[in-house]
Amino acid sequence: MSNNNPKDLSSNDKRLTSNVKAAGCAAKMSSAELKQVLAGLPKIKSANLLAGIDNFEDAAVYKLNDDLAMVKSMDFFPPVLDDPYLFGQIAATNALSDIYAMGGKPTLALAMLVFPTCDLPLSTAAEILRGGADQVEKAGAIIAGGHSIQGAEVLYGLSVTGFVHPEKLLTNSGARAGDQIVMTKALGTGVGLLALKAGLLDEDTKGMLVSSLTTLNDKAIDALAHLGTNTCHYIHACTDITGFGLIGHIQEMSKASKVSATINIKHLRFLPGVLEFARQGLVPAAAYGNRKSFETNVSYIKDFPLEFTDLLYDPQTAGGLIFAVANEHAEACLKALNGSGVAATIIGQFLEGIPGHIDITMN
Amino acid sequence: MKKQLDLRGLTCPEPVLKTKKVVDQADVKEVEALVDSEVSVQNLARLARSQNLHFQSSRENGHHKVLISKDQTGTVQTQSETAAAATRDGAGGTIIFISKDSFGQGNSASPEKDHDFSLNLLNVFLQTVHQSGHEVRAVLLANSGVKLMDPQSPHQQVLSDLARGGVEVLACGLCLDYYGLKEKVKTEQITNMFAICEYLFAADKVLSP
Repeated sequence: MSNNNPKDLSSNDKRLTSNVKAAGCAAKMSSAELKQVLAGLPKIKSANLLAGIDNFEDAAVYKLNDDLAMVKSMDFFPPVLDDPYLFGQIAATNALSDIYAMGGKPTLALAMLVFPTCDLPLSTAAEILRGGADQVEKAGAIIAGGHSIQGAEVLYGLSVTGFVHPEKLLTNSGARAGDQIVMTKALGTGVGLLALKAGLLDEDTKGMLVSSLTTLNDKAIDALAHLGTNTCHYIHACTDITGFGLIGHIQEMSKASKVSATINIKHLRFLPGVLEFARQGLVPAAAYGNRKSFETNVSYIKDFPLEFTDLLYDPQTAGGLIFAVANEHAEACLKALNGSGVAATIIGQFLEGIPGHIDITMN
Repeated sequence: MKKQLDLRGLTCPEPVLKTKKVVDQADVKEVEALVDSEVSVQNLARLARSQNLHFQSSRENGHHKVLISKDQTGTVQTQSETAAAATRDGAGGTIIFISKDSFGQGNSASPEKDHDFSLNLLNVFLQTVHQSGHEVRAVLLANSGVKLMDPQSPHQQVLSDLARGGVEVLACGLCLDYYGLKEKVKTEQITNMFAICEYLFAADKVLSP
């Protein structure tokens, strides 16, 4: 199934990633650029719109009736690696994640594909679509169509529709002071994908990276849903970690929730090898962009190794979820997550303080 | 032996891989690399640091020149890019630290007039600093002091005069956020509390009007 040879950097100009400048969520516009282009848009007010662009939510949520709300999201990006099937899987995992991040279940997806039919064989396009379709099926949803056009650079992704009970909706604005911050996946896909592109990953390390990139966030949501009748009473907020990195997404949550945050770097999990790769300078451009956007609101303890902070800003593709969990329920949630095979950890806490301020500690 | 590399036009991760290959050769004592993005400079700085090698970069004609040398050992970089400047090239100096938008507090019958007067007094102070010729390393602005950075503020002129004279003018990002000014200020003038601490602790003298 794999047709890429990462050691071979320049010989084949038909590699899927050969035209790609920034991969995956690293290709996202910066937070500042996004704010600028959105500034001119009219403010949307609708009583049924439960979540929109106001707090940089992961998806739009529209209430259909008292028992049902529709969750809609769209996500696409250029290839993050050369294997078209894997790329399809990863792009779908990433797109589906936005629905889970709102506490919802994906139901229906439409695919969108931009493809240079002159440069690449049609079988490559078919493999991308097959990877995406397989992943959507794994999520228990269906792909019912889509749209494709010619273009210079490959882009693939999904528009996903899901549903959630309006009372079980998880936004990023509900975190409260005292809540524990739970993270469900290891960090480092941005650095990891760069190292893969550089041909520096052995098979085992590549396998762990790919496995993280293709792991759906459904298990985490399911595990917490089974925990009690109304998880929203103690899961106060949720988001997924993608292009803005851990710091960016925690900062959005803490601003929207009007609390500050503290993160203990010792409790973070990293993908194998990524700290060493970052140390040697394999840091994606978007990580520097994220640093620029978000570092002004961050305090560190002196003399941290730089590679740790680089990974805090590393753009994640198909990253994990972050939950704000009521302090007294945090251990039970963690147990439920770990029991369902989700390697979640408590990485810090929301506190009363300046909204958006993040204190990084190491104790 | 010194090796030269032209890495312009290459995208990440190639500049760092090509440089590493050359740096790893035992007979190479120094590598001079031309790159065209700030990201490549930063990545090469990390590469040099990871091997404890001396790193230097400069800007010329639209590209960056990076020098990595094995003859001198490198310095440890701070984790904060915004704080890096605080401890760079001869830290210390005189820092003016302004944490409110007034010079002292007035005490007349009209608090409103008092504030205007105190604000103007701050302007007079900064003008005087600028004209006095005293050497100032940086002006750091925090809390309501960041209001001086508002493009509409009457202090803009004196602050840009100071900046033109080589004084770093930096404002606390949290504070700009709080007063709704963050989007109006150039990113290179926004800093964080970590960097403010670094500047203050490294300073020879801190003046707080």
